[in-house]
Amino acid sequence: MGKSSKKKNKVILAPPLPPELDEDDIVVSDDDVEFVEENPEQALNLARLDKDAIDGFLKRVADHDDDKVELLYEERERKRRAAEALKPRNGDDIEVDPVDALPVKTLDGKVVYRPAKKARSGDEANGVKSRSEDKGAGATQGSQKEPKGRSNKKEDSKLQSPTEVPKENLHSVVLEEVKEELSSDELFEKKKAQLAELGMALLEDPESNIRSLNDLLILCNDMDQKVVKLGIMSLLAVFRDIIPSYRIRQLTEKELAVEVSKEVKKTRYYEYTLIRSYKAYLQKLISLEKQPYFYLVAVRCLCSLLDAAPHFNFRESLLASVVKNLSSSNDVARKLCGEAIRSLFRNEGKHRGEATIEAVRLIAAHVKLHDCQLHPDSIEVCLSLKFDEDLGKDDSKEDKLKPKKNKRYQNRDVAKPSEKKKIKKEMLSKARQEVRADLRAVSFTLDPKEKKMIQRETLAALFETYFRILKHSMNNSRYKATSVFPGGSHPLLAPCLEGLGKFSHLIDLDFMSELIACLKKLSGYTDHQGEIPPDNALSVSERLQCCIVAFKVWRSNLEALNVDLQDFFVQLYNLILEYRPDRDHGEVLAEALKTLLWEGKQQDMLRAAAFIKRLATFALSFGSAEAIAALITLKHLLQKNTKCRNMLENDAGGGSLSSLVAKYDPEAKDPYLSGALATVLWELSLLQKHYDPSVSGMASNVLSMANLNATQNPVQLSSANPLEAYKNLSMGLELSKPAGKVLTLKCKRKRRSKEFVALSPDVLQKADCTVGEDVLREKLQSHFAVLRGISENERLRTELNHTLSSINMYKEYKKQKKQTKKSKTGRKKVTRS
Amino acid sequence: MAKKLGKKARKFANKHLQGGAKRSRKLRSQFNRRTRKDGKGREDGGRLDGDGDEEMRRSDPTVNTHDDVATLANSLEFPEDENEFDGDLSDSDGYLSEDPECPYYSDSEDGNVLKDSIVQDGLDGQNNDMNLAVKKQKKKLKKLLDKDPEFANFLGKWESELVSHESDEDSDEQDEMDSGDDGVDAGDKNPPSDKILTSKTISEWCQLVSKDPKAPALRNLLNAFRDACRFGLHSSSLSTQRLQSTEVFYQIITFILSEADNIFRSLLDIPDDDKGKLMNLRNGQKWQDVEPLIKSYLRNCLDLLSQLTDNQILTNVLTRLRASAVYFSAYPSTSRRLLKILIHFWASGDQSLSLTSFLMIREVVSLLPDCLDLCLTKGYNTYLSSSKLVDNRNIKNIDLFMNCLVELYSLDVQKSGERAATSVGQLSAILRQVSKSKEKEDLLKIDNWQYINCINLWVRFICVNYKDCHNVHSLLSSVAQIIRGVAYLLPGMRYLPLRLKLAQMLNELLNCNQMFFPVPSLIFGCLEFREIFQKEQTEKTNIHFSSLLKVPRNLLKSRDFQEQCILSAIEVLSAHFAQWSYHVAFPEVATIPLILLKRLHEQTTIDSLHRPLKRLIDQVSENRDFVQRKREVVSFSPNDLSSVESFLEDEKMSGNASFTQYYESVSKNRQSRGRKFV
Repeated sequence: MGKSSKKKNKVILAPPLPPELDEDDIVVSDDDVEFVEENPEQALNLARLDKDAIDGFLKRVADHDDDKVELLYEERERKRRAAEALKPRNGDDIEVDPVDALPVKTLDGKVVYRPAKKARSGDEANGVKSRSEDKGAGATQGSQKEPKGRSNKKEDSKLQSPTEVPKENLHSVVLEEVKEELSSDELFEKKKAQLAELGMALLEDPESNIRSLNDLLILCNDMDQKVVKLGIMSLLAVFRDIIPSYRIRQLTEKELAVEVSKEVKKTRYYEYTLIRSYKAYLQKLISLEKQPYFYLVAVRCLCSLLDAAPHFNFRESLLASVVKNLSSSNDVARKLCGEAIRSLFRNEGKHRGEATIEAVRLIAAHVKLHDCQLHPDSIEVCLSLKFDEDLGKDDSKEDKLKPKKNKRYQNRDVAKPSEKKKIKKEMLSKARQEVRADLRAVSFTLDPKEKKMIQRETLAALFETYFRILKHSMNNSRYKATSVFPGGSHPLLAPCLEGLGKFSHLIDLDFMSELIACLKKLSGYTDHQGEIPPDNALSVSERLQCCIVAFKVWRSNLEALNVDLQDFFVQLYNLILEYRPDRDHGEVLAEALKTLLWEGKQQDMLRAAAFIKRLATFALSFGSAEAIAALITLKHLLQKNTKCRNMLENDAGGGSLSSLVAKYDPEAKDPYLSGALATVLWELSLLQKHYDPSVSGMASNVLSMANLNATQNPVQLSSANPLEAYKNLSMGLELSKPAGKVLTLKCKRKRRSKEFVALSPDVLQKADCTVGEDVLREKLQSHFAVLRGISENERLRTELNHTLSSINMYKEYKKQKKQTKKSKTGRKKVTRS
Repeated sequence: MAKKLGKKARKFANKHLQGGAKRSRKLRSQFNRRTRKDGKGREDGGRLDGDGDEEMRRSDPTVNTHDDVATLANSLEFPEDENEFDGDLSDSDGYLSEDPECPYYSDSEDGNVLKDSIVQDGLDGQNNDMNLAVKKQKKKLKKLLDKDPEFANFLGKWESELVSHESDEDSDEQDEMDSGDDGVDAGDKNPPSDKILTSKTISEWCQLVSKDPKAPALRNLLNAFRDACRFGLHSSSLSTQRLQSTEVFYQIITFILSEADNIFRSLLDIPDDDKGKLMNLRNGQKWQDVEPLIKSYLRNCLDLLSQLTDNQILTNVLTRLRASAVYFSAYPSTSRRLLKILIHFWASGDQSLSLTSFLMIREVVSLLPDCLDLCLTKGYNTYLSSSKLVDNRNIKNIDLFMNCLVELYSLDVQKSGERAATSVGQLSAILRQVSKSKEKEDLLKIDNWQYINCINLWVRFICVNYKDCHNVHSLLSSVAQIIRGVAYLLPGMRYLPLRLKLAQMLNELLNCNQMFFPVPSLIFGCLEFREIFQKEQTEKTNIHFSSLLKVPRNLLKSRDFQEQCILSAIEVLSAHFAQWSYHVAFPEVATIPLILLKRLHEQTTIDSLHRPLKRLIDQVSENRDFVQRKREVVSFSPNDLSSVESFLEDEKMSGNASFTQYYESVSKNRQSRGRKFV
């Protein structure tokens, strides 16, 4: 008897069974089916819902009679099968049997008595026996026998015992016919019910029902795609629930050889089955992921699993596929994966940070593989990485031999501990060798050293990625890729720069100069002054970002670095003119102003003057948010460079301070050659008339500096830095503020005289020309004619109708006449007779 | 007989129940008929004659307290108060008792009056056919009657039954429909004459009246006018039969319209345009005498207005009627009726009708300030509904309508200022809501003509009234914020036409208050060089930015779009530069735009743009050098505000600097271009 026929039998036999019928009625309604069909994405939720409902239902039944039933059953069993060694492991049998042995009370209150009780119980014994044999032989045979022992508490499939064969055949023939009548819908319903039942059983008692996993997996190979979807979702729910909080280790030969107690055997079997099914499930998911129909479901399952069990076996394959999908073209999948990885980074306690390194390494490999042509999201997740700030301190305290910033040497020699430490550590680890596995399982806290190591490696991998991206952007700055991802030809550059800025304090000093050179090149600086390379592929925002990162890196390393950042100032000076409000991000510009100019110490006077002039001009041409950011920077520069305050006054010739360049060149590329010192900040007088009160206020504030001497500063209007000021005035924020009340108007003149205000006189003149008399006459007459025509028409119509109906009346008149005649003649006849 | 009974009952109702409601029902039905015949503005008509309740529900923001955006969008309109009735003239329909001495002449010369119709339209042919059919059937009937005389009796019985039945049934109906019939009630003593009016009679009367306004023939003429105005309204009425020739109709209408005003003035002894005097007269004996005549005249004019469909005649009638606007002020609720009709014309008519009706409205409103609210509300709502769609054809009408509306709102700035504040508040509430969600369908709430036109209306209003009313400033800043918000929420190339429009509005606003706003920052997008997708485009697609908010995607890279873009940008930029061309900081204002313009001039591949770009660059540079030269010799500093203000004051006054002249030529070009497109 082939597997398929078995399956068929099982399928056909299922309906008469009371518990299944119950579930058909109760758990699965038509609406549910529709819902699942229409919303495959939400089916996961559905699966959970189902589970709960089913759980509740089952528990209720169990509460009712489980104890009693079990007692009865055990008693009877003892009597009947005293000889048999009933293994306590067969919990499913124990739990299942009473259903057959006793009448079943369905939810709607019917008591169903099972026929053929005797035969069944015989089977039961058979089944139990065979199963115990299986176990002895090893679980490898399990798969063969699995369909037989299939889960179903009813044990119908066990009808195949030799004595029953003819009966069963007859049975199957009859049922085969019935089967044909079963529509696919019913099949689907049934399978769904089966899934729910299996899932319930597993959740209720995973230890005893662990074999059901296999059944579920088989269901996942169904022809019906909907069933497969439901199957993998049910499995997801089951796995999320039953996966233990430790990693299951492969047993060694030695361990296998040792005789163990029943309990241990049972646990081993359980773990073995779990692991095997989990592996099969993952394989299934990964294969399904390639089919478009299952893509989202599979990705969702993978992400959910990664989120729930990052510590468990097969994490590597999970991670690999999730990372791969980080740059998927599907927005939903990408978001899911990003969220999963982020939660991985956030909850390091779950997996002790191991998964973090793996993930970052995988991302690095991925970036390398795809030559940096990925979706920005795949790098953006790294921004949620967390590194301990005091990591370095511990290090230095622990080991005084290391230089202060040794923590940054991670990239090359990952923590070269001294000999002493090494020995000590080895000894410790040896001593702990035996208990280590247990310890790991029990406690998730890592000793700082281990943690540090992990973080270092993570950092190394992260910066490797970042540098790769930078190098790539630099080498191919002329290469215009038609990328499908947003962000032009360098989709990864923006998140990479952001990451570099964020982790700038962790960058190795050795890389610093290289990095700065790299950024310099990227920011568009060329050795040949003047021309901006026309095909520089980087946008203004990206180039500004490069300047910001360079300064951040420089500053977070205590500014000890002897790097010449002058070129970045030149870049910024030019980029200010390139800024376009809609194309570029104003916030980046404001941040650049803040980082480069506002936070800086005293500037070179010529440079400061050049920036002051340019910022003032800039403020005249752009919106109020940009203007205020520029003005705040300008004010700051004026405060720090008191000599530049001369620009506020119209001092002919620029006085003694005039530079070599006498004539101001507003379009100068080099701040030193602009001759800005010789100019006057006339812009401020116009900015005082700015419609935005905060801008005009700031302009007046700056202008008031002219009257103060060098040590005095004007009243501080606000302490906001350029970036904050920009954000405060940006349109988005302004719109989110509550609307100001529009004041009611009070006017001097209440009413206007008759003069016209909005209409031009020539328009009014046109109004007075009237139509010529002839035209008027003609039009009026035709108007009248039409009206007359209409009324005439109406009149005639009524007349015609009237006449016609009069003629029709004639017929009636005739009829009446005839009748009267008839009656008369009738009467006459009557009288005659 | 039964019919007469019904009439009496109706007469009773009319006299004792002051049928205001009935009257208004009647009016509505007339109006509906008119609009249906009109074929256009069905919705407008519906709004005007007002299914009041529905209208209230839809447009009253206080009813819908839950502020979903849909109601917000609707609530751009002002709530309208519809429950008003027309009480002044409803006690009579304007029939005047006639002086029996007045002669009637029979028209011997044109006896074939029936045949003189000028227009041979479809109806005439049909009427002739029907006439023949009637004759034929009558002959048949007669034959039958001849054959069987008893049938005549039977028929008579049936007819009388039918009549009584009918009158029972539709007496209600007639209540609604009637108007001509109730003329009878005034005529218990003097039944309206049913004598046929002939051309000769009319001209005789006209002569009599023009010789002496007090002549009794005036009453006859006014009655004839009444019949003429109602002609065709109710075919069953007697008045229809009195008028049989087109000539007569024309004579009556033109004479009354052109002379009535003079006649009444001479009767009342008031000179032209003296409102105060008329009001003083209202209790005098003279007024008492003339009042019924005026009443009749005005009422019938209203009827005429709701009857006519031709724009030209309407324009003419309105122009004549404008002189008599002062009389309407004596009857406020009739004026309301008139205003509603006028607003309808204002919105739906062609340019001249629209303008004439607006002038009439303005006239009436300035005489009757109470009606101003009605007009402001209705006018605003009508403006909104008519500006939903803008295309090349109606853009001028909308502009005219807007200007008229601004004119109306400027009549009483105090009153309209509140309305403006409310409306601007609504606009900004919508904007805020949209900026919160930024959903695509929400964006449509600001990305539509109604919204933009509404902003434009208030911009114009503020500009006109800024000088007289400095408190408009708070309104101005919120309008400016709305404009910036719209530009911020709708970025991208496709919205460039909208952006240019917003920039123009800003320029307009800033010109009146002399504040600084970096207008160029809005349109820098236009000045970016972009590659043209189709280099060889054979057919020239016409893009008119004035009737577009969003550029269709397929035109985005076309040559025409680029060209239009840059030309419009040049206009906006030059307006901005012109505003500050005499300011001491002009060189700095021009710096960044000039860099962009130069770059664009070098890069652009569209030959037709080289010249205008070059011209602008040259003009700006010249002006920059001019200001620079001038400021090199001054000694004041930027913080010396008064000196900054007076810088180049003289040149500004004389206004003959080259840049000013350049700007004038640019704006002239623009106007002529606009005219060409329309």
